[in-house]
Amino acid sequence: MASATYLSNPKVTINSVDLQDMCSAATLNVVFEALEDTAFGSTQRTYVSGLGNHELTLTLYMSYAASETYATLSTLVGTQTTVRVQPTSAVDSATNPGFILTGTYLETLPVLNASLGELSTIDITFQGGAYTVDTTNP
Amino acid sequence: MKYRIVSPRVGTPGEIYEPEVWVNIGVLLSGGFIVPAEDVPQEDDKPAKTKGKTKPLSEEN
Repeated sequence: MASATYLSNPKVTINSVDLQDMCSAATLNVVFEALEDTAFGSTQRTYVSGLGNHELTLTLYMSYAASETYATLSTLVGTQTTVRVQPTSAVDSATNPGFILTGTYLETLPVLNASLGELSTIDITFQGGAYTVDTTNP
Repeated sequence: MKYRIVSPRVGTPGEIYEPEVWVNIGVLLSGGFIVPAEDVPQEDDKPAKTKGKTKPLSEEN
């Protein structure tokens, strides 16, 4: 029987600040650059793992109020930080792993993205950093 | 240095904040998420003083 996952309540923290209620989409790609090691005698191309180059993209509702999106991100742009995403807000476990990027870099922060009649949202991307998975309850 | 939580986004307001090693404290301070602990006098600081006063009484008994 097919099993599908419907995630409506993922947890998102940036520099330990919980932005779950401001986030509407999150995509974490774990990437290891492919280094080609195909050689004479090969009949197909082959690759080995290179540097990790992970990326987390978040869609956040923008708010300039205290302790909200802008206050969290405005001084993080151009710096490294730690971000964490989890399928649900429950404690860490094998079935609710915490995906962590430590020392990840926020290059760009759209400080204003407004359209008439719409809630303001921004898309931000954290690049690089060390990828770990936490499955133990702290 | 100890910090106290102001914003519920980092924990329970009023409680002491114990940051993980990777947390950028400066960002949390400038964003108003936490404050240095000595800036916010709390009720839970008082029992320590009361405890000191009651000790001599118990010694007399």
